[in-house]
Amino acid sequence: MARTEWVKASIWMPPSIRGASIHRTVSNTPSSATDEYPRFLLPWVPLPALPLVSSPPSSTMAPVPKAPTETSYDYDLFVIGAGSGGVRASRIAAGHGARVAVAEEGPLGGTCVNVGCVPKKLFSYGSHYRHDFTDAVKYGWVLSGEPPTVDWGVLVANKNAEIERLNGVYGRMLEKAGVTLLRGTAKFVDPHTVEVDGRRVTAATILIAVGGTPFVPSFPGSEHAITSNEAFYLPSLPRRVLLVGGGYISVEFANVFHGYGSEVTQAYRGELFLRGFDKDVRTHLADQMRERGIDLRFNTDVESVVKNDDGSFTATWKGGGTLTVDLVMYATGRNPMTDKLNVDAAGVKRGKGGCVPVDEWSRTNVDHIYAVGDVTDRMALTPVALGEGHCFADTVYGGRPRSPKYDNIPTAVFSHPAIGTVGMTEAEAVAEYGEDGVDVFKSDFKPLRHTLTGRSGEREFMKLLVRRSDDVVVGVHLVQEAAGEMIQLAGVALKAGATKAVFDSTIGVHPTSAEELVTLRTSERAKAAAAAKEAKA
Amino acid sequence: MASTSAFVSIAPVLAKLPLCRASSVLRTSVFTPVRAAPSSRHVRAAPSVPQRGAAQRGANRWATTMAGGGANGSSKYDYDLFVIGAGSGGVRASRIAAGHGARVAVAEEAALGGTCVNVGCVPKKLFSYGSHYSHDFADAAKYGWSVPEMPTVDWPTLIANKNAEILRLNGIYGRMLENAGVELKVGAATLTGPHSVEVNGVAHTAETILVAVGGEPFVPTFPGSEHVITSNEAFFLESLPRRVLIAGGGYIAVEFACIFHGYGSQVTQLYRGDLFLRGFDHDVRTHLAGEMTDRGIDVRFNTDVKAVVKNADGSFTTTLKDGSTVETDVVMFATGRKPKTSELGLEAAGVTTGKSGEIPVDDFSQTNVPSIYAVGDVTDRVALTPVAIAEGHCFADTLFDNNPRSPNYEYIPSAVFSQPAIGTCGLTEEQAVAQFGEDDVDVFKSAFRPLKHTLTQRPGERELMKLIVRRSTDVVVGVHVVQSAAGELIQLAGVALKAGVTKKLFDSTIGVHPTSAEELVTLRQSERAKAEAAAAAEAKKATA
Ligand SMILES: Cc1cc2nc3c(=O)[nH]c(=O)nc-3n(C[C@H](O)[C@H](O)[C@H](O)COP(=O)(O)OP(=O)(O)OC[C@H]3O[C@@H](n4cnc5c(N)ncnc54)[C@H](O)[C@@H]3O)c2cc1C
Ligand SMILES: Cc1cc2nc3c(=O)[nH]c(=O)nc-3n(C[C@H](O)[C@H](O)[C@H](O)COP(=O)(O)OP(=O)(O)OC[C@H]3O[C@@H](n4cnc5c(N)ncnc54)[C@H](O)[C@@H]3O)c2cc1C
Repeated sequence: MARTEWVKASIWMPPSIRGASIHRTVSNTPSSATDEYPRFLLPWVPLPALPLVSSPPSSTMAPVPKAPTETSYDYDLFVIGAGSGGVRASRIAAGHGARVAVAEEGPLGGTCVNVGCVPKKLFSYGSHYRHDFTDAVKYGWVLSGEPPTVDWGVLVANKNAEIERLNGVYGRMLEKAGVTLLRGTAKFVDPHTVEVDGRRVTAATILIAVGGTPFVPSFPGSEHAITSNEAFYLPSLPRRVLLVGGGYISVEFANVFHGYGSEVTQAYRGELFLRGFDKDVRTHLADQMRERGIDLRFNTDVESVVKNDDGSFTATWKGGGTLTVDLVMYATGRNPMTDKLNVDAAGVKRGKGGCVPVDEWSRTNVDHIYAVGDVTDRMALTPVALGEGHCFADTVYGGRPRSPKYDNIPTAVFSHPAIGTVGMTEAEAVAEYGEDGVDVFKSDFKPLRHTLTGRSGEREFMKLLVRRSDDVVVGVHLVQEAAGEMIQLAGVALKAGATKAVFDSTIGVHPTSAEELVTLRTSERAKAAAAAKEAKA
Repeated sequence: MASTSAFVSIAPVLAKLPLCRASSVLRTSVFTPVRAAPSSRHVRAAPSVPQRGAAQRGANRWATTMAGGGANGSSKYDYDLFVIGAGSGGVRASRIAAGHGARVAVAEEAALGGTCVNVGCVPKKLFSYGSHYSHDFADAAKYGWSVPEMPTVDWPTLIANKNAEILRLNGIYGRMLENAGVELKVGAATLTGPHSVEVNGVAHTAETILVAVGGEPFVPTFPGSEHVITSNEAFFLESLPRRVLIAGGGYIAVEFACIFHGYGSQVTQLYRGDLFLRGFDHDVRTHLAGEMTDRGIDVRFNTDVKAVVKNADGSFTTTLKDGSTVETDVVMFATGRKPKTSELGLEAAGVTTGKSGEIPVDDFSQTNVPSIYAVGDVTDRVALTPVAIAEGHCFADTLFDNNPRSPNYEYIPSAVFSQPAIGTCGLTEEQAVAQFGEDDVDVFKSAFRPLKHTLTQRPGERELMKLIVRRSTDVVVGVHVVQSAAGELIQLAGVALKAGVTKKLFDSTIGVHPTSAEELVTLRQSERAKAEAAAAAEAKKATA
């Protein structure tokens, strides 16, 4: 019963795939977490208000926010959205003694848990096995009979079971923290009042943590395109896929589908995908994906899509020409989910694309209304949303004013091979310190594992950017199978202010790919100088 | 003991090999000549303005050595430098010294690249990669794949492909020496004096001699010890043994236990002590022992081999100290390595050795004989390839580039390619407590099932992340992980530790989600705090 509700409640079920196929993919094996899940959906009972002792916000410049003393509200804090940022903020605020309620219209955990990081990473793991099967042969394994096949339903069902377990974990976490959960869509009625499915609730402080939703431009046939939301619930593996978009989500799905055996075309209207990443990383990954057999088309955009009688789709390019596929997926950006929130009723100003601009304390233009996570359009990553939510709760309810720091945030793209990146790109570093102020060290190689397999599309790449004035490493960029794990620690090293000399003085771990990073001896400048000298001689 | 001919057999092949063309696939930077290591910038001034006494001595030594007239070719010796052993340390030292203008020869009796390339790190890691696929086949099912029939193993294919790759590497090493202008003498070298060596009956003289002969597996003598193999032979087995007994508790024993098990052998690992991997953090050791056991490896501690007999069917029956027996198709000993110095003629040259035959050296790798130096495993410092390389490089820079440097042994990251793998850097909890006292050490740790295996639920895949923090300074003095990509991860942890990272800086680093490593930046509660909280809860319960 709870499971059906879960599916119905999901805001991510698109009309195109809503229905039987989705129910089919939901696991029938109840885990302990799902067994406990319904307990969490108990009717909502507002609690009597209790005073919270603290001082009002001061009126100086960039004041440190504190919880208001006004206590005639149902709650001290009302959080809209139980995603990464909202859950963290609720839990920590409650831990500090605040009376907290959170509204959620979909499953608990938000984008990351349900239709983001977690299922994406699972798909990414799963999509690697096809290569493993072929690689294994060079390592002495004999795969007889037919080549391995894919039962997409098994993948989706197992993924769903895991996510339901996580939904349960989140539910219990909120419950244990004493946070009240309100199921339904919340919208503002006035600055201190929110309505959830017809019920009105008041709160001294309100936190907007509604996240974002995929954006698809309108064009003839755009109704045929799915987004990442639906991609997680496909009834079967499409034989041919067209991915439109050049962001990391598009890249990751291109790799997922290709790994599972689909014929993949990825189209991006710009020169080169992954704008914002280091240029070398972008070209390196593009090369590897092409080598693997993904058809990357840059400077290409879709004009229209029509559905054919056999259920396939034919996309027509802007410059002419067509492509017929079984699935058209758009990953062309995300929009803040503020449209139905009625923020005007609270006087909250919206910014570009509908985002909610905030100050360093995550406060909106209205003193007692805050926002964290994707909706604020700062940095759309789960750990950042968590950090913002945590800082908010500590600041307002913990007497510990903290605001999130956005320098040297390590991130990963779970492509094959994966990308890890922290700090400045080469272009950013040059813009900041000038060409003469930056040294670039890089290395491009075939990793040991693939010297045996000989499989193409597996070259790796490592790059360090060094500020010459003080030898500090200001950027690390990797394309490597385990880049996500590596870049986390590179992030720690950069936070510690590691210099190139510190990298060089670190003994290598042999045999690894990462040892390249501590043995990059010759800068690109030095290489160029040597080449120039040679040319002269 | 079974012969090591398989290993040596590469040498004749290699000797005949016209040091084939370099294909560009190999990571280059490990092997490209390095003129000036950036770290040298900081020490370059040392000869005139010594940073420490040792550096000054190094500089003086360089001055006296070079005063002999070495680099310009007017020396009374055949060579400026004669290197014995073309392994990790020897090749690096030769190449860099030659790059600095020295006339260099290197003697090698087996295959170029030494232990690491031929019977160590490289083939070991390849085997480790290969052994993982059995788990991948099983795991893939949970990710929607159906594999029609359980794959089988064709062991000779693995060996042949591994050998081809290693021959390619041997070739690269050969060309590298050739390009650097280093003369290669194929054969076993013996020292005949402080400045002379002999290879195949031919005498050579050199201003400086570098001993870089590495080590070899050590097997104790017991009834039937001639039946056991070592890691040397394990790389050239003709078929995959159905059952394997591995004796030893070091990382090589652990890695081979995981390799054979991954390829489908039934594996028993014995270690005479309480727990294997002595020297590693205790939590890491117990964690890995638990995971290996969960995977189905029969790990037995506090037991030892008494005798091995060969049966009529070619199998072996091993009798243990407690009288019980184990029947297997291979008995492998990985019970330590000893320096390869017994037939080197060290006495003739007056070089003193330690109790296991190792050659003691000072900070600049100099032995008691001023003209003779030693680097790598033979010196019994830290037996790892990158350390041997660093020692060889420092040696060459010190003597032939007027740039005295010595390797720094602090915070050397290292990995064990077990399944899951171990990464370790800095102090273990035990060492930290011994050094700083219990009160000055905070321990943060987390053991968990990684995301990938929430779907597979395969046993033996739990991971561990541990930080050791010195409380008085907040400096992180140790990082220990058990994780599939531990080798890659610990390399960067090593950089962070070298940079003097504090726990606070770990905490201020934003996580990369979803990864295992993000645990390391979200370890909020120390074991001390957990214990205190538990005690307080207990006390509260008692009063209630
Ligand atoms: C395909 C994909 C892959 C991603 N991969 C990664 C990754 O690998 N690593 C990473 O760090 N980040 C990743 N992200 C980004 C990450 O998911 C987001 O940055 C993160 O979830 C933002 O958290 P949030 O709290 O701002 O919003 P969300 O997690 O989106 O939570 C918002 C919640 O609010 C609810 N809500 C919205 N409006 C209302 C309303 N009016 N009333 C009640 N409830 C409402 C929603 O249902 C939702 O549950 C990925 C995103 C996508 C789409
Ligand atoms: C199974 C195994 C796995 C390992 N895995 C790793 C790992 O993953 N990572 C790591 O860092 N380290 C690893 N090691 C250790 C690493 O291989 C050694 O630390 C490293 O090779 C030491 O280098 P070296 O120069 O001192 O000696 P070696 O590399 O052993 O080179 C010595 C060379 O000298 C030659 N030689 C010896 N005597 C003579 C003579 N009289 N005349 C001529 N030539 C002679 C030998 O034939 C040999 O080629 C491993 C070792 C083993 C055995």
